[in-house]
Amino acid sequence: MRKPFLQRLGHEWLFCDGATGTVLQAKGLKGGELPETWNLTRPDDIYDLYCGYLKAGSDIINANTFGANLLKYPDPGYLKDLVTAAVQIAKKARTDCGREDAYIAIDIGPTGKLLEPLGDLPFEKAVSLFGQVAELGEAAGADLCLIETMNDLYEAKAAVLGAKEHCSLPVCITTTYDQSGKLLTGAGVEAVVACMEGLRVDALGVNCSLGPREMKPIVERLVAAASVPVIVNPNAGLPRTENGETVYDVTPEEFADCMKELAGLGIQVAGGCCGTTPEFIQKTIAAVRDLPFRPQTQKHHTIVTSFSQAVEIGEKPVLIGERINPTGKKKFKEALRNGDIQYILQEGLKEEDQGAHILDVNVGLPEIDEPAMMETVVKRLQGVTALPLQIDTTNPEALERALRCYNGKPMINSVSGKRESIEQVFPLVRKYGGVLVGLCLDEGGIPDTAEGRLAVAEKIYEAADAYGVPRSDIVLDGLAMTVSSDPKGALVTLGTLRGIRDRFHGHSILGVSNISFGLPARELINSNFLTMAIECGLSCAIINPGNEAMMRAYYASMALLAMDENCAAFIDRYRDYKPGTAAAPGVSAAKGSTASPAGDLSLKESVIRGVKEAAAAAARKELESRDGLTIINEDLIPALDVVGQNFEKKTVFLPQLLMSADAAKAAFAVIREAMKGTPQKIKAKVILATVKGDIHDIGKNIVKVMLENYGYDVIDLGRDVDPQLVADTAIRENVPLVGLSALMTTTVVNMEATIRLLREKKPDTKIVVGGAVMTQEYADAIGADCYAKDAMGTVRYADSLFDRD
Amino acid sequence: MDAMALPVDVREIYRYLGYRGNPPTAEVAERVDSCLLQLRKASTPAATHRFLPLASPEENVLLAGEIKIHSKNLYKNMKGCSACCLFAATIGIGCDRLIRRAQLTSMADAAILQAAGAALIESLCDEINRQVIEEAKAKGLFARPRFSPGYGDFSIQHQKDFEQVLQMAKNCGIHLTDSLLMMPSKSVTAIIGLSATDTPCILQGCETCDHAPNCAFRR
Repeated sequence: MRKPFLQRLGHEWLFCDGATGTVLQAKGLKGGELPETWNLTRPDDIYDLYCGYLKAGSDIINANTFGANLLKYPDPGYLKDLVTAAVQIAKKARTDCGREDAYIAIDIGPTGKLLEPLGDLPFEKAVSLFGQVAELGEAAGADLCLIETMNDLYEAKAAVLGAKEHCSLPVCITTTYDQSGKLLTGAGVEAVVACMEGLRVDALGVNCSLGPREMKPIVERLVAAASVPVIVNPNAGLPRTENGETVYDVTPEEFADCMKELAGLGIQVAGGCCGTTPEFIQKTIAAVRDLPFRPQTQKHHTIVTSFSQAVEIGEKPVLIGERINPTGKKKFKEALRNGDIQYILQEGLKEEDQGAHILDVNVGLPEIDEPAMMETVVKRLQGVTALPLQIDTTNPEALERALRCYNGKPMINSVSGKRESIEQVFPLVRKYGGVLVGLCLDEGGIPDTAEGRLAVAEKIYEAADAYGVPRSDIVLDGLAMTVSSDPKGALVTLGTLRGIRDRFHGHSILGVSNISFGLPARELINSNFLTMAIECGLSCAIINPGNEAMMRAYYASMALLAMDENCAAFIDRYRDYKPGTAAAPGVSAAKGSTASPAGDLSLKESVIRGVKEAAAAAARKELESRDGLTIINEDLIPALDVVGQNFEKKTVFLPQLLMSADAAKAAFAVIREAMKGTPQKIKAKVILATVKGDIHDIGKNIVKVMLENYGYDVIDLGRDVDPQLVADTAIRENVPLVGLSALMTTTVVNMEATIRLLREKKPDTKIVVGGAVMTQEYADAIGADCYAKDAMGTVRYADSLFDRD
Repeated sequence: MDAMALPVDVREIYRYLGYRGNPPTAEVAERVDSCLLQLRKASTPAATHRFLPLASPEENVLLAGEIKIHSKNLYKNMKGCSACCLFAATIGIGCDRLIRRAQLTSMADAAILQAAGAALIESLCDEINRQVIEEAKAKGLFARPRFSPGYGDFSIQHQKDFEQVLQMAKNCGIHLTDSLLMMPSKSVTAIIGLSATDTPCILQGCETCDHAPNCAFRR
């Protein structure tokens, strides 16, 4: 009789089947025909397909459900029939072939859609699409879920979550890499393994795209990285088209030979993908079956990832940027209250440029909806930075929402030794995966000895064991306590770090700057403490990467402690070091510098030439002698006007117009900061939106920058915006002008619909339209008030309405 | 395909930026060069193509394999063709990520990356087109200028046919949105007509497009 799948997986050789498509095409499946329909229309052919692989010896056969989801089959009843038939035919084949020992996998392939924010499929929608198939498969009697051919980490995560939340079957996943070992959206083997193991899959591996020969380096990396069993299902070589047909060149014998070699690398499950047939599988089984079987070993790697990058903790200290945090930051708090996500994102990007490896994300403020804000910031931030994030919150709902939508395996800050904290946090880490920061404190408070803190650490490790979270996914916070109130504070912390390293062979983390609270010249204390902490084994330092003293301590420590080969990173950074300088190297000659020296440009000149840094510096200088409003009226506005007019005369072109706009924006920011408290003059509120169906928004964003510089308060509704939202916002905020953008002729209809709705609901609002396909005739035809051919056109139209002096 | 090796005519980038032959300032030229380099590093070009038989059952109707196309413009372009080649090409999702990021740090860079991405995908298409011409030659066929859905009266609805025939999502990572836009955004699909006789001097590009009079980017 059939043993439970997990009793065999990873304990003995198991063999998958080969291609479904290749076999069905040989039976007459046409290109473009949906293979799953055959479950109902040609069940005998599907039965033969299964029998072929069962007789060849496959232990796991895929039900013919690869593309079965509601996107491809919108009728739920029909979908259910297809999936149920697929599994029932497989069961019959299994019985008829005398292979009751074999397992039937519900086969789950990609949706064919790209997930948000790059595409238009929402993450939760993907989760439910996948979950539905898994649920139908389990109900029909499948033995496991095999998710395959995933080439995007985010979609892979959605599939695993969906399967786990909607069925209780074991879940295995294979992803598709290119020859460099990356998924289509950039994740390498190690990142995929970390993320999938975090989601607690039962096995993982690789399929499709490459032949067994090309897969070898990927299989080597998989075996080195994974702790769960590894599945390898290659194509029969690289695909090639011949007379319009896709063909594969590797013969069954060659395939089996290659698979024997791959099996010797230490994989546990073997099979085939496109181009392979029962003959390939039969020969592979014969070649592999008698080789010695090696189970996977626990690897104890500590890895956090973004959608593409993997950062390993433990090799050498990792820098975690601390700036996305409202504590003690007035401007940041204001941004949180006003929902100014852009400011928050810019803080993160700054830290990335300054050299952070991971970004801590803390958006906790008593008066805001933290869970919603956390989800928004995580989603937006992971759309613009490739750095992994550290979710920093004490709110369990905020934590879960962030973990759910996170694209990769995050760091989590934090759990403590308190029972309540353990019970709240560990189940989430068990479910979603993540590297968890454990604070060495508990109900008894913060122990004042290293020994006391290590005892709490032990407790946290034991909790990890109990919840099935590997100890390697715990990073312990030794707790930096200010030395101004406790003279032995630093010594205890350093002792704790040593203990974590020497006693537990574990990893540690510190919020370094806490050490200097209440002291002057804090960076002196902080940077020296950082050096000491690194020497005592610190794995992760939460710091401000914009503080050069800290970066110096970090790079010097790396060089001193043999963690910077040939001192290369140190030399690279400080080659041109001059004693006594405080600025970060390379920053003065930063991006955006120009072909000619920008040193002493006046404010007007810097804006006209579009030199951002110079404009901010000049504004600061001007503020010493004049007030903000005068500077705006006498320098900034005239400079913008010169550029705007020259743009209209076609002596200045778009990049320069925008460089000037960027420069003016930087100057405005400096002046506004100085004018805080004085009411700002706003010409009018303007709504901007890219219409429904259109996801290209750069044109709209250019208009936004220009309008803001000219004194308008822009409400940016983003892209793919529903007409109703535009109308509702116009009414709620009483907005006198709406700007709409469309790129494609196909979305102009939605622009028209938006205008119609606005006219009906808010007839006094003016509407200006633009975008690549727009013309004056088009604009007239759909009833807009104005067609603006470029960003300046919109500014001029707005000024004609609201700035008549 | 290596993005670093694809030839890019920087004049094309300036054309997309609206320069119409005017020279850029030194500041802008420097930015364009640095953006193009960034873009090349972030790009992962991929493409796929497939030859299909072509028939014309009636006037202004074409049958490419099993795809039925109603289009006056394409019919004219394909007159006398017995086969065709469908291709899809993309420079990858890296360009979109760079643009998203740049919109937070510098709109000028965002606009330049946008233009550079357009130039890079065109260059890739030229490369694929050359390959198709070579392969066609081996079959004794001559290629017509490439023609894309959404161009003239060749309906964008046919993107779905391209997806079905070329398996774009799987083979080169191009995904369609519900409104049939392609993601990565710097992607192109096109059909190339193939005939047994060489027809010189076929108009191509802007000259055949109905949108040309109103198009901001026409040559």
